[in-house]
Amino acid sequence: MKEKTAIILLLAPFGLLMAVVAAAVGNVLVQSVGYIPAFGLTKPTLDYYLQVFTRADFLSAVWVSLRIALFSSVLSCILGVLVSMALIRCGKTRGGILYAIRAPILVPHAVVAVFIIQLLSQNGLAARVGFALGLLEDSAQFPQLLYTPGYWGTILAYLWKEIPFVAYFVLAFMGSISATLGEAAENLGASALRSFWEITLPMSIPVIARAFLIIFIFAFGGYELPLLLGATAPKALSVQTYLAYTSPDLLQRPLAMAMNAVMLLLSSLLALIFGSLVFRLNRRMGGGK
Amino acid sequence: MKKHPLMKLVLVIALGLIVLPMAVVLLWSVTRRWPWPLLLPESYTLRTVRELLTGSASLPKLLLSSIGLALTVAVLGTIIAMMTARATELHEFRGKTLVRHGAFLPLLVPGTVFAMGIQLTLIRLGLSDTIAGVILVHLIAAVPYCITIMTDMTAAVGNKLEQQAMVLGAAPARAFFEVTLPGLLPGVLSSMSMGFILSYSQYFSTLIIGGGRVKTMALVLVPYIQSGDRALASVYSVAFVASALLVFFVFEGLLHALQKRGDRI
Repeated sequence: MKEKTAIILLLAPFGLLMAVVAAAVGNVLVQSVGYIPAFGLTKPTLDYYLQVFTRADFLSAVWVSLRIALFSSVLSCILGVLVSMALIRCGKTRGGILYAIRAPILVPHAVVAVFIIQLLSQNGLAARVGFALGLLEDSAQFPQLLYTPGYWGTILAYLWKEIPFVAYFVLAFMGSISATLGEAAENLGASALRSFWEITLPMSIPVIARAFLIIFIFAFGGYELPLLLGATAPKALSVQTYLAYTSPDLLQRPLAMAMNAVMLLLSSLLALIFGSLVFRLNRRMGGGK
Repeated sequence: MKKHPLMKLVLVIALGLIVLPMAVVLLWSVTRRWPWPLLLPESYTLRTVRELLTGSASLPKLLLSSIGLALTVAVLGTIIAMMTARATELHEFRGKTLVRHGAFLPLLVPGTVFAMGIQLTLIRLGLSDTIAGVILVHLIAAVPYCITIMTDMTAAVGNKLEQQAMVLGAAPARAFFEVTLPGLLPGVLSSMSMGFILSYSQYFSTLIIGGGRVKTMALVLVPYIQSGDRALASVYSVAFVASALLVFFVFEGLLHALQKRGDRI
């Protein structure tokens, strides 16, 4: 009985935080069907969802956000694993170089936006170097990466931050696999590439997958980077939604919440699909957990 | 293990790409004029630094409130994580796996969705536009990561030593604070530095829940970026990153000192 009280007390603050998250999700769902008594809206309806799905700007925003999330997460994972292997192969798994690799994790997103503007805008440093080397005759010839519907500036900003994140996130696990099983394979005559490709990489998939999911969901819902580096149209989902949320037209509020609900649904769905994929992959490889 | 020249090249490129933008922002922060197509600024100025130190947003106050807020989130988040981890790792109860998995659920709710969803509730509770409200929403972002760290740490340390101390007559509180907590300290420090960084770099949730009353570095920096003033955006970026690194290295330093002491004993 005493233990039960102890458990309840220990879990109380965590429970409170989870209740806050549940309240937020509940609010989104309730307001998305048009139930906001404070605004005089009391009749539940699915109209707002219908409206949302017939709006061209919303559908293109979904596409923009999915594209940003997909490119950022896939490329960060591939390049992050490469950097992690480079650290392992060069024996730099601790100390000075590792601090430098970890630095981008500490740099806030808004600052990364500043970096990208200074390096990759049409009169940024990259274009200047191109001009100095005679590759460009004019700054306008430099590809427009910023403020354009391709959202490449946003994607590159995420890459700058997330490649090191993946490298650091998978380092300990990949390092231990590589030092034990990978090394064994190499002693038996496998090439370094083959031991990576057939032993270390497949064994590390669950850790890489977790990093992938964290980045995907984050980039999918991210706000500052698409706001600061993206196009005025089409907007990213979070930017589009916040615009509707702050609109003086109060009927936009339930619309914004319907957009939020769709966003929530999409990220949970992706996590679910992804989680079950990893689970199956794990089982097929005979992994314990 | 053989070193591969290609792998070395990968590291050199990675380090170059990490350091380059930081160097450029440092240069931009004291630039007066840097016209196309020059590779280096044409003239320098300290106007930006003066603006940073004495301008409309007073830096010491801003740093104090941002760092104070983030440290509060770091401490509270770590305490909550420590309690949660203690419950799931050292006790048996039904729904244990539910709690373990549930800890990750907040990560599935995008930050913007959460902030817009909770605003009405916080207004009703009188927490909107207050520092307490901002701490609460930052905690939601930080705690899942803190719990991951503290769960691993608690599982590794266990409670055998603590129980021995109690068998020898120590009160439960004393057994925890003098036996278990020192063992957990490395985890506590990395959980705190994670919580600090997550809170320190929040923008959207501070904007919407703080309502402009709660000022942080991120909130001051973004308008400078939007207005296109590269020099001022740079000088605030430098202050932002430098202060984050400073706090991070204090945590790292403490961690190293602890590990050294641990080695000696």
